[in-house]
Amino acid sequence: MRRRPGIAGIQRDVATREQYRSAGEEVRRASLQQMKAQLVIFKSSLEAFALQHKADIRADPVFRAQFHTMCANIGVDPLASNKGMWAELLGFGDFYYELGVQLVEACLASRQLNGGLMELGALRAAVERRRGSRSDPVSEDDIVRAVRKLKVLGGGIDIVTIGRGTYIRSVPGEFNTDKNKVMELAQAAGYISAGQLASTAGWSSQRCERVLAELLKEGMAMIDDGAPDKLRLYWFPALMPQQQQ
Amino acid sequence: MGSSSTFSWPYFYQYPPYFTRQPVKETADRQSGLWGSLILAYCKHHKLYVLSPSEDIPLWVNKDINRRLAPEAAVSFLDDLVAAGSALWLDGGAKARCLVLWRRLPDVAAAIASWAASYGMADSVMLLDELAAGPAVAGTELEGLHREVLLRALQVLEAQGKVKLFKGATPEEEGVKFL
Repeated sequence: MRRRPGIAGIQRDVATREQYRSAGEEVRRASLQQMKAQLVIFKSSLEAFALQHKADIRADPVFRAQFHTMCANIGVDPLASNKGMWAELLGFGDFYYELGVQLVEACLASRQLNGGLMELGALRAAVERRRGSRSDPVSEDDIVRAVRKLKVLGGGIDIVTIGRGTYIRSVPGEFNTDKNKVMELAQAAGYISAGQLASTAGWSSQRCERVLAELLKEGMAMIDDGAPDKLRLYWFPALMPQQQQ
Repeated sequence: MGSSSTFSWPYFYQYPPYFTRQPVKETADRQSGLWGSLILAYCKHHKLYVLSPSEDIPLWVNKDINRRLAPEAAVSFLDDLVAAGSALWLDGGAKARCLVLWRRLPDVAAAIASWAASYGMADSVMLLDELAAGPAVAGTELEGLHREVLLRALQVLEAQGKVKLFKGATPEEEGVKFL
């Protein structure tokens, strides 16, 4: 089509653009409807799958984690509500609720020892002990999900990453980046001195003393004056490899 | 000493900071409780009755982690045991010798009374030395009882009207009559 200059030509261009625009919207609307229809099919397939594999999902932590991933990909959260379809379908609500209670108990029981900071693996082992040998096994993934659920309820519980480890913090109060840094630097040996901290982190001695004093006061650190060179060391029970009582 | 079977050490014995008195009260209280229990268990296992805060024993010194509990700390933990009624200082303020009552005095008293009953000791008189060691108590749970513990347990029985203590001219002549 040859464009002709002039008002008529301009008007025709506008009309053409308008036609393309409304045609594009039609396509989009149709796609969206198609996608929604597709999602409905996905979700009902997922429900059928969950029902069929209910026993495996309960009994096998690895399979359970994979199921969670699949749900997430489709945009379904089986833990979204304690009531409702998913809770009844899988009994998930009870499972994670119970797990939440157990992990909080385990954290409280060891709080005196580690100041309210517990390594994820140690927490999982403590929860397993509480559950007993006859119950379904739980994975670290399960614990993390249960903690996230508790967080939503405002339980004052949180997941903290220190260096290459994952810890569950169950005390209120601030676990700021400085404290995190101290424990990260102490992670390998399980302890650190004020001098080592100052030189490795590049902090002033006041800053070091302050953070260490805070960690000490919160029960997350203990002092050790018995080293051969008499240098005061700060130890962190939460970093101890699974020696909790 | 006593039993030769291995003593099993609690987790905190392997963790260096526990050998330093902690400044934070909550941690220090817990530390004292842990050490108190360890002291009682250690003495019970080895049938030890008297401890000195500065002696070179595995209780105060863990060679594996190269840590030693300072005598002042040991005194502090023993003081807490004394306050709880599980220990006594034998030397007043000097605090160099502590009698550890890993078996409560009333329990020791009951054991003596039970021994006396089963051996038909009513109306008999014995020297304290014979009660602590010798053929009369060989093989019984009274054997090897520390004299200080024995004396105090007998005082409990005396208060209960079950025995009468006699002082001799010398400590060797101290005796007891079972009523």
